[in-house]
Amino acid sequence: MKNTFSAYHPFINLLFYIGAMVFGMILMHPAFLLCSVALAFAYYMALANQKSKYLFRMLVLFLVVAFTNPFFNHSGEKILFIYMNGRVYTLEALCYGMVLAAMFITVITWFASYNIVMTSDKFLYCFGRLLPAVSLLLTMVFRFVPAYKRQIGQIASARKCIGKSTENGTALQKAEHGMAVLSALASWAFEGGIVAADSMRSRGFGSGGRTSFSVYRWESRDRGLLFLMLVLIFGIIGCVAKGGAYAAYTPKIVLAGIDNRYTWMGVIFYGIFLSIPTVVNLAEECKWLILKSKI
Amino acid sequence: MAHFEIKDLGFEYPTSMGKPTLEGINLTIERGEYVTFCGRSGSGKTTLLRHLKSVLAPHGKLSGEILFSGKPLEDASLREQSFKIGYVMQNPDNQIVTDKVWHELAFGLESLGYDQKTIRLRVAEMASYFGIQGWFYKDVAELSGGQKQLLNLASIMAMQPEVLILDEPTSQLDPIAAADFLNTVKKINRELRTTIIITEHRLEDIFYASDKVVVLEEGRIIAADNPRKVGEFLKDEKHFMFAAMPTPVQVYYGVPNEEICPLTVREGGEWLDKIFVEKEVKVSAVDEANAFCEEDIAQPAVELKEVWFRYEKNAPDILKGVSLKVPKAELFAVVGGNGTGKSTMLKSICGICRGYRGKVWINGKRLEKYKAAELFYENLAMLPQDPQSLFVKKTVKEDLQEMLARKEQDRAEEITKVAEICEITHLLERHPYDLSGGEQQRVALAKVLLTKPKILLLDEPTKGIDNFFKLKFAEILDKLKKQGITIIMVSHDVEFCAKYADTVSMFFDGGIITTNTPHKFFSKNSFYTTAANRMSRHIFENAITNEDVIYLCQKNL
Repeated sequence: MKNTFSAYHPFINLLFYIGAMVFGMILMHPAFLLCSVALAFAYYMALANQKSKYLFRMLVLFLVVAFTNPFFNHSGEKILFIYMNGRVYTLEALCYGMVLAAMFITVITWFASYNIVMTSDKFLYCFGRLLPAVSLLLTMVFRFVPAYKRQIGQIASARKCIGKSTENGTALQKAEHGMAVLSALASWAFEGGIVAADSMRSRGFGSGGRTSFSVYRWESRDRGLLFLMLVLIFGIIGCVAKGGAYAAYTPKIVLAGIDNRYTWMGVIFYGIFLSIPTVVNLAEECKWLILKSKI
Repeated sequence: MAHFEIKDLGFEYPTSMGKPTLEGINLTIERGEYVTFCGRSGSGKTTLLRHLKSVLAPHGKLSGEILFSGKPLEDASLREQSFKIGYVMQNPDNQIVTDKVWHELAFGLESLGYDQKTIRLRVAEMASYFGIQGWFYKDVAELSGGQKQLLNLASIMAMQPEVLILDEPTSQLDPIAAADFLNTVKKINRELRTTIIITEHRLEDIFYASDKVVVLEEGRIIAADNPRKVGEFLKDEKHFMFAAMPTPVQVYYGVPNEEICPLTVREGGEWLDKIFVEKEVKVSAVDEANAFCEEDIAQPAVELKEVWFRYEKNAPDILKGVSLKVPKAELFAVVGGNGTGKSTMLKSICGICRGYRGKVWINGKRLEKYKAAELFYENLAMLPQDPQSLFVKKTVKEDLQEMLARKEQDRAEEITKVAEICEITHLLERHPYDLSGGEQQRVALAKVLLTKPKILLLDEPTKGIDNFFKLKFAEILDKLKKQGITIIMVSHDVEFCAKYADTVSMFFDGGIITTNTPHKFFSKNSFYTTAANRMSRHIFENAITNEDVIYLCQKNL
């Protein structure tokens, strides 16, 4: 599926992820958690390459976190079993563990899709205005780190062909050859740095008044989505402030009930907010289906 | 008013101890002129070019003055020089600052503080003019060398400079990318009237287009005139730079005649027509060796049989069943386009890339049977494409010493011997990075030779080397061959292979297409062949080098 959401303005992408992650980390009410787990996975699964592998890993992580929590947290009323000289394994701690685990995998999953959506240049665009010098530095780092990696490979294989491999010989020889590779890399990088500096200065770097160019444009669809997101965010905050997401697990499970209207309103706002990327993508897909069928 | 006026310029590096790098340079460059500087490495070309842009000028003792549009150059501010004088350097990689193509195009304009709208327009203009739209959003790391250098040019042109200075811009590119790049430069000169100041070894592609050719020797201008006059001057002086002239010029001066000097292959062909008009061609072919026959090789130094290789399980195959037999003590050249897998084949011979199918024999023994220590000592060695990746020490001498095991320090005389073979004795105390491309190549070769190889693999050994150094390099290879060393060379350099190789193979689409002696090989091709052959093929049967053409002309006239 084409990722339409990532084609929106970087600020929209960033605002969504800030919202999703902050709420994901503080809202512990099961209804809210259910929303975030389901929608985080729904979006990531549409983007990911290795879906089943990822799901399996997350399931394992969930189980491990959920079931080990009661071993460290002993408060709670309903005791499931007692082990090792009277330590208790309680239902409340188990529930709390499941909540923590759900939170954990949600945030990880949001991060996973964040890495796909927020590419390095979008990140820089968002923060570049605050710190222009740092943002240029980061751009260069993004370029140099992979370049250094490649060069290390090149030096190592060049040296292997003259019998100076880091793979065989005594430990001392290996270390020596490894050091030689690093020192060669250092000279190479230094030499490259001088050329890069020349190239920058020859293109007017340091002549003052640097601006920052970007390929992103703020369109009316971005304005619309921003408005919707702000309304939802304030809605969620309002409901939470009114106690709609109250949840305590130990020593006694106390939850804001479904009868509380702030709870169900909050869940609806939250659900709409988190489904934005998925809905945007699906809507685009539907639009094309309709356009195609008209031809 | 002249665009650049250099008056009695002299320059001395602080470390050069009284020996000036530039001396008495007087030169006028008009607006819109295409000026080519030539001279062997170390003649002061780069130093002179750098002085034409204050921010790049090296530190040292400067005398004389440079006027830019009638005013002293140093009076022009950093800002003014930044957008009026563009400077493209040799290394395509290191000049790039940012990680995205679009960002690189905008970099100069950002530095000068243009607003978003202006930058957007300029960037769009540049991307369209240079045909960059297709890779506008790419990471720079994904680009080929040719694309990178084109990007460097475009990102400078985005600032709309009046002068474009290019310091050996194509030395790291393959011939096709280089020709493309130089054509773009020519187009800029013709269509935008941008003044071009360029240095190059590959004079074939720019000599005829130049308005003025300036020859530098030891920091002095010895000739500055139009291309034909410079050719004549160098011939009369019997100057070594004559070896750098394009093929038609060299052939022209090898044959006594009264016509005008040809500069391109087309003119060369017409010139041959003229001198052979109403004359019978008695001798139409040079003597040549017997055709290459793979079955005749009894004990090949290297043999590959149907080797298949790919980098990853799901990646496309790079080698698709390469079979090859290399006879002992020969210079075996493999030519072919970029990205066909030539270099990968070399890597599969020395075991860096292990094929997933097929077999490799080195001196009759399976590659897998060798231990690494055995394989790379007194047996097989490879000179990588980038000689710099072999340098790890502060001086050339230390670098060479690294090759001797600790207890063998007494083998110092071996270093002396190898240094003599490679003609680098005078460079032993220098830092390897301070040497010119040709010198680095020879130092790297010396280092490789200290493993005493019987089989030497060379990956693009003539890349970035001027013709003068190529002659020397060929002499060194010849010496090694006489010692019984087998040399396998992968190259784009058709002229070099035609002149010096014993056998030439064509590599295409992951396999060897054909193998033959240079004469048989190149005289059969019509595109992938030498300039001498293209120029003379309608008259002579198998002339592939300048010497062949000159010899046949002399025989028939």
